[in-house]
Amino acid sequence: MNVIQELKQAFQSGSVLSDTEQCTPYECDGLSAYREKPMAVVLPDSIEGVKTALRICKKHQVPVITRGSGTGLAGGALPLKDGIVLGLSKMNKILNVDPLARTAVLQPGVRNISVSQAVEPYGLYYAPDPSSQVACSIGGNVAENSGGVHCLKYGLTVHNVLSITVVDMDGHVSVMDEKDDGIDLLALMNGSEGLLGVIVEVKVKLLPKPDTAQLVMAGFDSVSCCADAVTCVLEQGIIPAGLEMMDRFSIKAAEEYAHVGYPLDAEALLLCEVDGSFDQVKVDTQRITALLQKNGATTIRVSQNEAERIALWQGRKNAFPAVGRFSPDYYCMDGTIPRKQLAFVLEQIDHLSQKYQLEVANVFHAGDGNLHPLILYDANKPDELEQTEKFGSEILKLCLDVGGTITGEHGVGVEKLDSMCHQFPEAELEIFHAIKAVFDDSGLLNPGKAIPTLHRCAEVGQMHVHNNNLPFPELERF
Amino acid sequence: MTDQFTQHLSEQIQQAISEKRQLQVAGSQSKVPLALDVEEVSMRDHAGIVAYEPSELVVTVKAGTKLTDLSAALAERNQMLAFEPPNYGDSTIGGTYGCALTGPSRPFRGVLRDFVLGTKMVDGRGQALTFGGQMIKNVAGYDVSRMMAGSKGSMAVITELSLKVMPLVEEVTYCIEMPEDDAIQLMNKMAGTTLPLSACAYFEGRFFYRVFGEHPKQNATPCDNQIWLTVNPFQPKLDDNQTLWRVDTEGPAPSIPNTLAVGMCGQRRWVISDTEPALYATQWQSYFAPRDRDPAPVAKIKKGLKNVFDPHHVFTTL
Repeated sequence: MNVIQELKQAFQSGSVLSDTEQCTPYECDGLSAYREKPMAVVLPDSIEGVKTALRICKKHQVPVITRGSGTGLAGGALPLKDGIVLGLSKMNKILNVDPLARTAVLQPGVRNISVSQAVEPYGLYYAPDPSSQVACSIGGNVAENSGGVHCLKYGLTVHNVLSITVVDMDGHVSVMDEKDDGIDLLALMNGSEGLLGVIVEVKVKLLPKPDTAQLVMAGFDSVSCCADAVTCVLEQGIIPAGLEMMDRFSIKAAEEYAHVGYPLDAEALLLCEVDGSFDQVKVDTQRITALLQKNGATTIRVSQNEAERIALWQGRKNAFPAVGRFSPDYYCMDGTIPRKQLAFVLEQIDHLSQKYQLEVANVFHAGDGNLHPLILYDANKPDELEQTEKFGSEILKLCLDVGGTITGEHGVGVEKLDSMCHQFPEAELEIFHAIKAVFDDSGLLNPGKAIPTLHRCAEVGQMHVHNNNLPFPELERF
Repeated sequence: MTDQFTQHLSEQIQQAISEKRQLQVAGSQSKVPLALDVEEVSMRDHAGIVAYEPSELVVTVKAGTKLTDLSAALAERNQMLAFEPPNYGDSTIGGTYGCALTGPSRPFRGVLRDFVLGTKMVDGRGQALTFGGQMIKNVAGYDVSRMMAGSKGSMAVITELSLKVMPLVEEVTYCIEMPEDDAIQLMNKMAGTTLPLSACAYFEGRFFYRVFGEHPKQNATPCDNQIWLTVNPFQPKLDDNQTLWRVDTEGPAPSIPNTLAVGMCGQRRWVISDTEPALYATQWQSYFAPRDRDPAPVAKIKKGLKNVFDPHHVFTTL
């Protein structure tokens, strides 16, 4: 029997898809520029099912690509032609909610937003809120260590997960808990992009829903002025729940899309939200308003009610589709940079934009330095995707040069393998491969993702030696 | 590019390997004394702040820096280590990281590794490595920096740590006399409300809770913030025949007989017992002694990871 026959024998009909047509929806994730049809898709509905599927794949030495909802933006769930996609969407039950302990136990296919919806009657919610939260799954969130708009104050996925259950290629089940002694395996699993194990259960922390939230919107006539204002707010000891910046192009696109009253004459827009108890929010809003004024805000608007607060967010929340209206395709980058470098980085991105003749809109999680440049392109024009990827890769190098990193929250997947070669020297990459081998000696779990081979990096390295131009030689490297 | 200290460590490690000696990484030895049959890797003098950007909420510090010095430097800029590390007397940030110790604020602000952004280290081959960085958000590569929190010097010598810091806040403590089980219930109920709590404990018949920032008037007795230093680190006077256990449990779990103190919304209990009282119990006097109780697959992974970083077993395993 081959692997598909054996899987079909072990699972009910409908749980193993192998027709080309049935496999098509699984050929890509949120990074749709990369596509590949898998040999088959298995959709188990229990931990036992996952164990069975993995054992069969191990026996046949077939690679396994675990997939949640397929919303990832870096191609982490891109199938392999000779591999199986292990889809966990049928494992979508909330197994337990303990309102007093403020925890929930979830199957990996539970959608992020449905956790908060389920625990709302208890006045609780699950804090990490990636922009794909209506669709993305909690298992995928752990695999990617997903962030969100509120992570400066409430943390990333790794900060909100208490325990996970993991199955390895041999079908062994391990529990990794925050309470464990010694090496922190739970932390290691967060963001491991499906290379170390299959996450089959997740216990998350729930937080009390804040009494209220208020949004301060401020326009500035320069990016550096806006960044300085953010610095000032943080230095004064206020940690806003949300702290978002947009550049001129994004403001214009968002306003034309959502009609929410963003100042079109501003070079930079800041959306600063505070939440908590009524008293605290009142005090913080007053302090923030005063600080932004002092730092040269040209316009300030404070939300007066919940409807206005939500309306003001609409522009930012729809910034990607809004920018997308200006072009057939756009490519979203995910570097992080120290905030003090923002003005410099945006200036350089502007130069690159002229070099590549491709427009860019920038949105920025200003609190934690996560920059999302959106490069506009047309995939139907010859070479334009390739040019876009080169442009993107240069942006990521720029992020590294100013002391940042190539990915803040989207992950490496297949997309940033070459950029990983710039971020990590050989010794660290060798350690990463050795870590993978400890968890998966067969190398069958999501092979070829997240960590580039040394061979690949050697080729990338040669390419750069050939170009022989170190970017920004005047910059101090740190 | 390696600095002089890293170079020195590298040589010490390589020499120990060739002479088949074991090394024990030590800071101030406030928690773990040096074993008799090993050579010390002394971190005590590798101290000081490397970089501090208050507005980026990040500090980078050498591992031998004393907690008191680090906290004082942060306090000058109205910031703090939000995980409230226990100070056993001259404790260093490196030792605190190695033992993954977090204080009473844990249920509200998180555990130590939540604040770890990056590390520099020298592994068991004498090789200098860097993981993570100074960014609050960073998902490039496996999160080795957070993984090693709690590794007790068994995998590599951590030389530098980048940590997320938070603003200092004004805090006040209140207390109410009540039975232990009632307090455990109440602290968990309160933690589910929007009262801005930063610590909860039960000690000597009283429920203590700490509140920060703007908050409504409390129907409880105001008391000294000193209580949080009494329970963190918790070092009660014991009779010779008494064994103290640290029990980590679900917050609302019922009281355990002979509990001396309840911390972290009930998630931590300090219990006197002759026998092991619960699943996540640790005999505190020997917390830093080697233990072997992980289930087989987890034990295999941990052993494998140790071998990745320290293939010659040059570092002692605690």
